[in-house]
Amino acid sequence: MRAILAFFRANWLTAASYRLDLIISLGSLAVAAIPLYFVAGALQPLMAESIETEGGQYFGFVLVGLVTYSYLGVAVNSIANGLARSIGSGTIEAFLVAPAPLRTILAGFASYELVWTTLRSVVFVGVGVFLGARFAPAGLPSALVILALTLLAYVPLGLMAAAMVMAFRTTGPFPKIVFAASALLGGVYYPTTVIPSWIESVSSVVPLTYGLRAIRRTLLDGWSLGAVGHDVLVLVVMGALLFALAIPVFLAALHYARRRGTLAHP
Amino acid sequence: MMGGHARPTPLPGAGPATFVDIHNLTKSYPEQRTWREILRHPFREQWIPALRQVSLDIVRGEFFGLLGPNGAGKTTLFKVLSTLVTPDSGSVRVGGMDIVRDGARLRRIVSPVIADERSLLWRLSARENLNLYAALHGYGGSARTRRVAQLLDLVGLDEAREKMVGQFSSGMKQRLLIARALLPGPQLLLLDEPTRSLDPVTAERFRLFLRQDIADTEGCTVLLATHNAEEALELCTRVAVLDRGRVRAVGTPNALALHVAQERFHLHTSTPGAQAFEDLVERGLARSVRRLSGAGVDGAWPVLEIEIPGGDRRCAEVLTFLNQQGVVVARLERFRPSLAQVIEHVVTHGPPPTAAPLPPLRERDP
Repeated sequence: MRAILAFFRANWLTAASYRLDLIISLGSLAVAAIPLYFVAGALQPLMAESIETEGGQYFGFVLVGLVTYSYLGVAVNSIANGLARSIGSGTIEAFLVAPAPLRTILAGFASYELVWTTLRSVVFVGVGVFLGARFAPAGLPSALVILALTLLAYVPLGLMAAAMVMAFRTTGPFPKIVFAASALLGGVYYPTTVIPSWIESVSSVVPLTYGLRAIRRTLLDGWSLGAVGHDVLVLVVMGALLFALAIPVFLAALHYARRRGTLAHP
Repeated sequence: MMGGHARPTPLPGAGPATFVDIHNLTKSYPEQRTWREILRHPFREQWIPALRQVSLDIVRGEFFGLLGPNGAGKTTLFKVLSTLVTPDSGSVRVGGMDIVRDGARLRRIVSPVIADERSLLWRLSARENLNLYAALHGYGGSARTRRVAQLLDLVGLDEAREKMVGQFSSGMKQRLLIARALLPGPQLLLLDEPTRSLDPVTAERFRLFLRQDIADTEGCTVLLATHNAEEALELCTRVAVLDRGRVRAVGTPNALALHVAQERFHLHTSTPGAQAFEDLVERGLARSVRRLSGAGVDGAWPVLEIEIPGGDRRCAEVLTFLNQQGVVVARLERFRPSLAQVIEHVVTHGPPPTAAPLPPLRERDP
């Protein structure tokens, strides 16, 4: 854990050394919630019926969707990006010759992005609440558990992206496909019930579909964790299956790079 | 060196003296192919050997040098020892631990100095850089603070500890890289041209530090890849000459140098064109005589390089003959080859015959 914290500290100090960038990033986020508020207000009459079981208020609905979606970036991109940066900057060799387990180093790559996304989410939701988004505070702990499970279900996809960086120095279109599929089919901007039935069946293999629905029901409608048990169970099973697939893929990529001597080649 | 964690107990198997046991190590890399080659033969990949059947025994506490031209395989050997690269065949054991099977344990005792300055975090201070890597080596709390402070002091960066690394000179960055490698208190330190960015005074001080603090006091085994003759002669108990992935010779630096120099002498004379020198060769007293270009400037007498087989007795005969012929000789001295000349000779002519360790070159006046 101390190694992960050390990674976080190093990344934070690096980011904080670019002060103006840090301030602009937080400031722009606060402003970004305002147009969303007006767009959501305009769409409320259209969406009210279809989101009845997920809070009923479109502004809260889409706010939760965007915040959860931003965590997908952490899960899918941060490890691969951290690895690519480390290879490019030349630090990867120094990390890999240390006795810290590889999983610690990868978690270290993602640690700053995770905390930064959380901070951004707090600012975003805070501005949303100020503008009138309604939440059920009692559902917050359950929603956070489901958010963590959703994040974990996407981490294997991040590992696969990292494996591609390790072996081929690029993730290719892989993360973009994951993000596009999740945004279109996972219910970020609209519930999956409104999409055509033949596409809806595809959305049933997207982990975000279950994660978002469960988060919204707990956080916006106050459902208990048990009441969204089916979605949680599917999320856990999907995560487990994806991990079972991603870990051998990642280890194979590591072996491939060590064998070809390209582990630290930019 | 103080360590933040217990060192692993070596596995049984290795002898008490042999610390690094490399046996028939082979490693190849895939050849970079052009698009045309890939399209013509998509599945026919060529692998180029970087290490071929390398075998070396390095004794615990030894200061061992790796010499060789660029592309000889020194860096690949270091990468194998650092577990960054998997060997194709052969075995490597350090402290009785196998490099492939016990990689995680091995990283606790083997530490390479990664000489690439880019491997530092340039937006952070020297202290924060070491803090990160100390955490990766298992140091925490006050132990980490102490260890980082101790190493910054050791490499002379104590006063610059809060300065951003991006503002460091090349030499300062090099010292920080060395401090980073010393963090775990390694039992095997891998140094790839460690003093190349240091000024002569700092380099000399660093060599003293390596010899006294790292090798003698700590008993740390050091593997040093260098192109610096002074460094190899001063520090290394033995050296190996690598060429195109093969070990061409192993021995003390002086033994290798002597092998190259054994029949070659420099003769300082005022009459380099004298017939007597041609007579030397004709009479079989010398094998060859050639004038060295560039010698004899600024009033100094010209220098001839003479190959004299047969040791001191033959040298005496040569001097007597030249004296009888009226040739004035100021000096006859054994040729002292540079490291580059030693490497070139070993690579071109093969290894010297096995010989007992010889006294340092500077103690053997011709």
